[in-house]
Amino acid sequence: MSLLAYAEDRDPGESSDTEAEPDALVDFTAMLRQRQREYGGWFGCGSKMQAEQSDQGYYLEQYVLGVLDFSSQYGIDYSISYTAANVIGRPTKFPAYGDYPETFPMVSRSGPCPTPFPFNSRPQRTYGDWWQRAPSATREIQAQNLPKLTTHDYIVVYFEEFVVPTEVAIFETFNPGSVVRIWAYGLTKHWTCLWEATESDLARPALDSRRFAPALKKTTMITKTLRIDFNHSRLNYYTEIDAIMLCGRTVSKTQSLLGKQQKRMQQQTQRQVLASPPAEASDPPATDGSGGPISYKLRTLKFQPNCHEDGATKLHDFINNDLSQFLMDNSVKGGGDLGPPHPLPPPPPPQVCLTDLPFEILLRILSYLDLKSLFRVGQVSRTFYDISTHPLLYAELSLKPYWHVASSELLCTLARRATMLRKLDLSWCGGLGNVSPTEFKKFLTQRGDNLTHLRLNSCKFLNASCIENVGIVCDNLIELSLRNCATDPPLLNFSCLANLKNLERLDLFQTAFETELLLSMLEGNRKLKHLNLAFCGVSVNMDNVAAHLATYNTQLISLDLWKAHFLSARGLQSLARLHQLEELDLGWCLREASLGDGLFQLLTNCPKLKKLFLSAVRGTTERDLMHIAALGKNLEQLDLMGILNITHERAYDILVHCPKLQLLDLSFCDNIMDRDFDLLAEWSRQFNVDIKSSRRY
Amino acid sequence: MHSSLNWTSRLISRALRSSFSTLLETATGGGGGGAAAKSGTTKSGGSGAAAGCPRPRFVSVVCGFAKDNLRHKYKPGKYGEDSWFKASTESADVMGVADGVGGWRSYGIDPGEFSSFLMRTCERLVQCSHFNPKRPVNLLAYSYCELMEQKKPILGSSTACVLILNRETSTVHTANIGDSGFIVVRQGQVVHKSEEQQHYFNTPFQLSLPPPGHGPNVLSDSPESADTMSFPVRDGDVILIATDGVFDNVPEDLMLQVLSEVEGERDPVKLQMTANSLALMARTLSLNSEFLSPFALSARRNNIQARGGKPDDITVVLATVAM
Repeated sequence: MSLLAYAEDRDPGESSDTEAEPDALVDFTAMLRQRQREYGGWFGCGSKMQAEQSDQGYYLEQYVLGVLDFSSQYGIDYSISYTAANVIGRPTKFPAYGDYPETFPMVSRSGPCPTPFPFNSRPQRTYGDWWQRAPSATREIQAQNLPKLTTHDYIVVYFEEFVVPTEVAIFETFNPGSVVRIWAYGLTKHWTCLWEATESDLARPALDSRRFAPALKKTTMITKTLRIDFNHSRLNYYTEIDAIMLCGRTVSKTQSLLGKQQKRMQQQTQRQVLASPPAEASDPPATDGSGGPISYKLRTLKFQPNCHEDGATKLHDFINNDLSQFLMDNSVKGGGDLGPPHPLPPPPPPQVCLTDLPFEILLRILSYLDLKSLFRVGQVSRTFYDISTHPLLYAELSLKPYWHVASSELLCTLARRATMLRKLDLSWCGGLGNVSPTEFKKFLTQRGDNLTHLRLNSCKFLNASCIENVGIVCDNLIELSLRNCATDPPLLNFSCLANLKNLERLDLFQTAFETELLLSMLEGNRKLKHLNLAFCGVSVNMDNVAAHLATYNTQLISLDLWKAHFLSARGLQSLARLHQLEELDLGWCLREASLGDGLFQLLTNCPKLKKLFLSAVRGTTERDLMHIAALGKNLEQLDLMGILNITHERAYDILVHCPKLQLLDLSFCDNIMDRDFDLLAEWSRQFNVDIKSSRRY
Repeated sequence: MHSSLNWTSRLISRALRSSFSTLLETATGGGGGGAAAKSGTTKSGGSGAAAGCPRPRFVSVVCGFAKDNLRHKYKPGKYGEDSWFKASTESADVMGVADGVGGWRSYGIDPGEFSSFLMRTCERLVQCSHFNPKRPVNLLAYSYCELMEQKKPILGSSTACVLILNRETSTVHTANIGDSGFIVVRQGQVVHKSEEQQHYFNTPFQLSLPPPGHGPNVLSDSPESADTMSFPVRDGDVILIATDGVFDNVPEDLMLQVLSEVEGERDPVKLQMTANSLALMARTLSLNSEFLSPFALSARRNNIQARGGKPDDITVVLATVAM
């Protein structure tokens, strides 16, 4: 609860708190004034109207009214701590910097292609590249489609009033620097990208809370829905967002405003065009040393174009006749020295064109193109159309980077081409009704029988019959990813999915399901290697699931049970029977219950364990920590956030005895105090381990 | 405790998931309604009311003293180990107090942390309209569950008393666990009063989060065991919510005398003066070692020879109903 809200609650006539120290009050108002100067008054109540009233409507600053969609959040959805709903309204914690539950951090697991690089709130569990180093890492489908800075997470928010956006400010209160794209949804039902980050934008900013407001593209669109994309590969730890503000001009009459703006913009460009030519002819060329060898050459020769009446004709003559001579006379190699003039121009090379290459080579070349370019290449000629529609180029299909243009028509077109489809990624598509379930089912029926990998994360068009279709048609599936499909009642009709017998990877992050139906699926898929049941909700009996896994799915390599409440010590003992386990995420499980000797059994029986997350497993005792040190020979990533009994000795023990350790998270461990930050930095250097700890900011 | 927590979590998740999904369904067209909005604190509920329907509101003030003024630096929202909150939305006015159980200090746990967190979360929940205006027990239960979702481990226990004034129906719904409580005065008489809930003498009912592994050894009551009451209110009613520091030191007739003076008072300054005097009264009496306080009297009933006041944190939340 920040002092901010306290100040605003006070009515002038009421002194609700006679015990208030006068010093504290004065400091606070001074800070307010200072911040107002810096940020131009974002402390206003709700929607603030500034006095600028022109005939174009009001200038309005507004905060988020509601959240339409998000890819992930740290907290569970019935909570208000670390969840996406904290983005709503005015910032609660800003300008304080730190890890607060009143903000929105993200927890996505959608890993990027490995790029060379190291909340809340809605905290991203993909800070840095730790998730790509874990055993459960996945590879992107049709990776050439992805832009340079891929999107790991997003949030879609809406505001109260339609405005023409002039500024979007994002209040980051923890580990800033993850926003990569800002999209706005216009009245024409299309998304426009208002801003995209470049590499330099993501250079790590100072570790302080910041109001991030990049320069947006000039636009006349009217919007009240925004989508913010995040990329976490550069972050040190989770990022958290406190609030989002949309500033712009409201519109009184849409058409007349657009007309006026367009006319004004036309007039401006006309004025610019008329103003510039006379100035160019009279000024001498700049001698500032910029430009390449040709500009340099032109400068040394004092070459000045003169724009006469017949200047165009003269230029044409020059280009057609004299340019080649000119270039040969002044060879542009090296420092611009005049080399010996060539007696003869070199003979023209033999005419070979691209289409003379063998078909397979061309196919190979085109296979490196992203989907958009592939469609464009198909417009060049008949030959290229035939090559670019070859089904081998559509064996892997990913519409995730094209979520903003994915539509039923696109699916229809792709259905004609993709006769050999093996891997399909339709994540994030279909929001706001662009893709219809019928079209998807048709697509799947036509092309889905040989599918091995299917990813339908955050697909809004999914309904029960779509899932049924998946179960019936795609029986060769090896990987099925249905993240973020949480509805009530759960739409996953597992009895149809029980038809799938070859699954090796099943991802049900943030998706609700009924326990019995999951159990039947587990029984059917004995080869299961990777299972993600994070945020599965309170209705799942995790102990039963664990017992089933121990009986039927002994080949399991990675298991994610983040925030799976109601796992008890008994469940943990069942998990100890999975001898192939390399990655286990038990964050926020087990609540207050004591672990018994479950952890000891797990560590003894699963020697291959590389990644172990015990965030907020409060029942971990000092004995358990000693076991970790003694038995965790292969541990690479260890998360002990919020565990009460950690002392320096235990932490040091673990660092000494786990030689392969790369990541150790000791945030919110109260026994390891803030003043020991230097000690931790020292250990970090000594053992070459990245140690995370809570600093008191 | 574990099973009751399970039950509570299931109830909450179902309720909140359905309400959350309806919030998410209010899509792009048409402004989304006010359901998801984080409304600012408003005192007057008059806007938008149907003609002729009275919209009551609280005019409320707070005062208090920490038991040990020297050790506890003043922080807003807390008096020592006690904590309080006030919040309002369009449909309701909510107030509450919580008293941290001091016994945790000997285990190295700050007793004020739990009560403070409970009250701050209740405030946040009210501001996000994440509660049912007719069920203060649910508010307490949600707040209790939020404790589990904090990264920073919070331990301890406290009593709690929450009061919601439902503007539409002009009724007050209350939930009380433990020995804090409230009293409603109308025309010089006590019309409603809460009952103290105790397991044994000086051991009230309490919401608690024990350190892991000590669960069975610690007294922990679930939010369902709260005492609930609902009653209509009229213009001019005086409502006092306080922790046991007040009820154990100030005899009831004295309290009644003080409270009847402010019946119908709408001026917050005058109300504040009364709250101040009540808190001061409680403090003075608590430090008096000869006076036969209500605490001493009830101790004697339990065969304990006690005399004088009971030094304790004092929190007074005083409100009048204005229509």
